[in-house]
Amino acid sequence: MRSMATEMPDRRTFLSGAIAAALPANSGWADVGSPQYLSAARTQNGLLHLVGLDDDIQKVFSVALPSRGHAAACHPDLPEAVVFARRPGRYAIVLDCLTGTVLAQLPANTERHFYGHGVFSQDGSRLYTTENAYELGEGRIGVWAADDGYRRVGEMWSGGIGPHDIKLLSASGILVVANGGIDTHPESGRTKLNLPTMQSNLTYLSVHGEILEQVETEPELRLNSIRHLDVRSDDLVAFACQWQADPFFDLMLQGTHRRGETLSWLALGRADRTPTYAGSIAFSRNGMRIGVTYPRSGGLADWRLGDPCPGGWHDLKDACGIAMRRSGFLVSSGTGTVALLLENQWLRELHASTLSWDNHLITIR
Amino acid sequence: MRATLAFFLFALVVSVGKADSGPSLPTIVDRHVLTGYSQLEATTRKLAQSATANCAPSSEALRSAFHESFDAWLGVSHLRFGPSEVDNRAFALAFWPDPRNKTRKALARLVAARDPIIQEPSAYKTLSVAARGFFALEILLFDSVLRSSGDAEYFCALTRAIASDVADTAREIAKDWRDDFKTEFNSFGGHYRTEREARQEFFKALSTGLQFVSEARLGRPLGTFERPRPRRAEMRLSKRSLRNVNESLDALRDLASQLASNAPETAERLGLGFDAAREAASKLIVDPVFSSVADVQGRLRVEVLQQRVDNIRRIVGGELAPALGVGQGFNALDGD
Repeated sequence: MRSMATEMPDRRTFLSGAIAAALPANSGWADVGSPQYLSAARTQNGLLHLVGLDDDIQKVFSVALPSRGHAAACHPDLPEAVVFARRPGRYAIVLDCLTGTVLAQLPANTERHFYGHGVFSQDGSRLYTTENAYELGEGRIGVWAADDGYRRVGEMWSGGIGPHDIKLLSASGILVVANGGIDTHPESGRTKLNLPTMQSNLTYLSVHGEILEQVETEPELRLNSIRHLDVRSDDLVAFACQWQADPFFDLMLQGTHRRGETLSWLALGRADRTPTYAGSIAFSRNGMRIGVTYPRSGGLADWRLGDPCPGGWHDLKDACGIAMRRSGFLVSSGTGTVALLLENQWLRELHASTLSWDNHLITIR
Repeated sequence: MRATLAFFLFALVVSVGKADSGPSLPTIVDRHVLTGYSQLEATTRKLAQSATANCAPSSEALRSAFHESFDAWLGVSHLRFGPSEVDNRAFALAFWPDPRNKTRKALARLVAARDPIIQEPSAYKTLSVAARGFFALEILLFDSVLRSSGDAEYFCALTRAIASDVADTAREIAKDWRDDFKTEFNSFGGHYRTEREARQEFFKALSTGLQFVSEARLGRPLGTFERPRPRRAEMRLSKRSLRNVNESLDALRDLASQLASNAPETAERLGLGFDAAREAASKLIVDPVFSSVADVQGRLRVEVLQQRVDNIRRIVGGELAPALGVGQGFNALDGD
């Protein structure tokens, strides 16, 4: 792997790794300029970076990545981010966002690869990663000791095939996993090996790997691959899917789930838009709204929970990242736009650059 | 008022007169899709008849009908939209890759139980797609291991059931295209909202077809340098691995040239790309099932072919997509 380098951002000069070693060990996210959001991005000349953005959408740090990233997980206290390579990812790296140095490299185990998402435990001592045990064709959750040099300390069954996103239920410390249901093998790239039999599910796991609850997509939505998740403070889960067949009117790609209940789908309800591919999903800060991006359809939609149809459709080419803001949603696109969506308003561009924002916009909570 | 109307009519005439610069989709449907499915319908009908006439795996007529039918399938197997996607029909014809050996297991279960479900075509259709289609038939016709485990009478009935089911499925797809789905490409606003969307469907068929050749048909046996996987080659039993690559490249070439009909320079580069791939494939005649991917020389031959296919994919993504106005963004292309 290529060595890491830091790009000097305009607002802040980074310390070199050598000096960083002498810093007090208790530095936190405030020391990197209090970024509110993280996103991987590709520069115009093809370089790949992890970028930290503050609330005013100003770049507060930028760290070079060795290859295209998918998503990142933020340590709850320390200014550390784990960046996952895009699947079939062979590594994940732990970055010190203060210095840009690589604190640890997580190699995928033998016969495992990363899917691109992970989450820290509430106290930051453990990192959980979604993985493919590809010779077996089964999903795994890798467990890493974040408080002990990111040693791998175990793994558990994800409850299905193709686990993609993973989140922590805030109240209980239970993990929720989106098992997308699609079997792939790195030797055949992204070729889907099991579409005739695929079945996606949401699985709730204890941190010891006990399956507490599973809910599958209904038979007629068997080809809906649940990929991305967000969790509200009361543990309501929002999920977004990618449909693996021809589109049809009223195809629903998103919904919510509460433990003990069935999946509750949200309809887009438009004859002129039948997206089959949702990119990301997020709750608003007050938890009353859900925003979903559709990069292949070039837009996004947002629902007020309880309403049968979305507040509106907003065109934004290659829109993919979405995250809560003080109010409304922040949306990022592959064409360099970061825009704000407030309830009942048009999408407002906040920031334009030549960066291609990659997949997900991560909120640092 | 009259002036406004006149202007409006003028504008209308101008906009109608300005021909869309894209290829003619009804022509592609006619010459590529309907022709291909008619061929599949005819060859699979013959396959079912051959199985009825003589179900013995040694029957030359049956084996050659199998080969002709699968060649025909490769002419359309990249068209994964519309009628082929109803009721899992495409998978019921061809369930591959099969990394967990589901077809073999499903057949072994039927044989061990002498399951009478195969006597009733409508019941047989409810079985897992792994127990149906060309890949199940290939095992019955070309594999001696399974045969040693059951009696000839049941194998005969099973062979006939699979062949008839394949013919039924092919007929259903062809009929749906002819009677119904083809009209979706004459005017838009139905299944496809715009002509661009419909064009994009054919583009996607071409690009995923090429991806499948590179990543599945070639990539699976190649495995990694440290761990080559010759046993994963497609249709090793009937020795069709290379033939499948060639037949699908021919079909994809036909589609590519029709899609590029209004972009002569791209069409020419695509033609050269396909020529180079066929040339690389011709070097593999000595190894039609890619069994030598484990030795340096043999591996190189397959890798070169894969590179040639990937080169076509680059032209398709970099030149044909913009020419057709179906370019996709950074995230839209990602697929995650």
